[in-house]
Amino acid sequence: MQPLRLLKSQLYSERGDEGRLADPVLRGGRCRCGYVFFPMQTYGCERCGSHDDALTPQELSTHGILLALAVVHLHADKNRLAPFTVVKVALDNGPVVRTLLADDSGEITLGQRMKAKLVPVRQGDGETVYDLRFTAIV
Amino acid sequence: MARALNELRSVYVVGIGWHRYQNPSETSYVTLGLAAIREALADARIEWPAVESSYVATALLGMAAGRPMLRHLGATGAPLLHIENASASGSTAFRQACIEVASGISDVALAVGVDKRNMVRRSDTGIDHLADDAIVPFTHFALLTNEYAGRHHVSVDDIALVAVKNHRNGARNPNAQRQQDRTLDEVLGGKKVSGSLTALQCTPIGEGAAAVIVASDDAIKRLGINPDRAVRVTASVGRSERVYPPGVGFDAALTRETVELALAEAKRTPGDLDIIELHDAFTVEELHYIESIGLCAEGQGIAMLKDGALDIGGRCAVNPSGGLIAMGHPIGPTGIGQIGEITMQLRGEAGARQHRDARVGLAHMVGVGAVCYVHLLERSA
Repeated sequence: MQPLRLLKSQLYSERGDEGRLADPVLRGGRCRCGYVFFPMQTYGCERCGSHDDALTPQELSTHGILLALAVVHLHADKNRLAPFTVVKVALDNGPVVRTLLADDSGEITLGQRMKAKLVPVRQGDGETVYDLRFTAIV
Repeated sequence: MARALNELRSVYVVGIGWHRYQNPSETSYVTLGLAAIREALADARIEWPAVESSYVATALLGMAAGRPMLRHLGATGAPLLHIENASASGSTAFRQACIEVASGISDVALAVGVDKRNMVRRSDTGIDHLADDAIVPFTHFALLTNEYAGRHHVSVDDIALVAVKNHRNGARNPNAQRQQDRTLDEVLGGKKVSGSLTALQCTPIGEGAAAVIVASDDAIKRLGINPDRAVRVTASVGRSERVYPPGVGFDAALTRETVELALAEAKRTPGDLDIIELHDAFTVEELHYIESIGLCAEGQGIAMLKDGALDIGGRCAVNPSGGLIAMGHPIGPTGIGQIGEITMQLRGEAGARQHRDARVGLAHMVGVGAVCYVHLLERSA
């Protein structure tokens, strides 16, 4: 199976051995102080300041709880046509992330279990690329 | 050992001035800034050469906008520093002017904020995010509104009452960008922006200027400034965001710790506050921040609002200027304009917006990044 072309492959990946039907994972990091963060970086830990080798990549499950949602009615950037829905999710691993809700997600309410999936988004050259969106776990 | 502003020599606000906040226009920033400075000089009844140092707050005008403006006051050779600190640029300039006078390095200093609408450009850190381009400030606060309503079981229509109050105050402020009373139906019926936020619950884009002159006791005596109109700065605190527990909103947490330090510096409690000017760029912020300041418990802000406790004439007048929602938020001027409004209130010169017997005021700004600045001002007599 060909790997999917991802819009931001530095931030997330398909879970390799389980194929594309499995949930994607976020490319986070862990500091030797124990702090877990997203996305991965080696500039330095926001909690303790350790850097470079003290910070190691850690794949984070996208499963979490919905903290907030907002339907955006106005958006100046022509690359994102309103309306779209933004969600704020507390990952089970700790970090809080914000991104778009998948168009085909079921109804969501606060406190809802959520996970991410890869959805096709079109780019200019016509080739299908995939981006990460959250969806309700039903 | 490190010391707080209040442990150094006393600093007073002695002059305040504005160019009205307004919709973007052809007026040059030089015209806006000079109007505010000349009004502040006239208010203090001093001449420009008495000002020994200037802090120019601007976030959107580009490099070194100050000297091409200040030279038209007569070039005195006095030092000048530009300050950019996002929405808190003006508050930061005010703090630096106060520190300069409190330290004894200068006797009289100016903080002036001026801005015009412009592109906001933020530096690339090299770290990407999932969809930052989709989450502009109004959507950040739409998410917080949704979270607040859910956590405290309040209706988003009640959160919009913040805008009704602040538009009412702005309608009585000749320096406000929006000077029109609005009913709750008008606020809720306006253009939908993001989540439950409507246009009248969001700060408008605009331009303007505000200026404040601070001085020492020595300068007040030497220059013959009326001491009865001088308002003392009793606390100045600046903070930046730390790592908070997962799920804790940094906006409110950062405000809480900054205000606690400021109240301790001035030996005051939340119950002592008569006036608060705070960063209400979006309605939900006012509730978050009055709760963080300690006017009431978390989730109780709506009850205070409905009781009229936050009105002019209520327990504590919150955003009597109209706040960012009605007075406006031209960025550089905003934090300095807050100091001007509190000074006017503590002097008893706020006219139709006067809160009775105002003695202690608190000014609060946050800026993306994220930073928080808090000042306390008190009537001298």
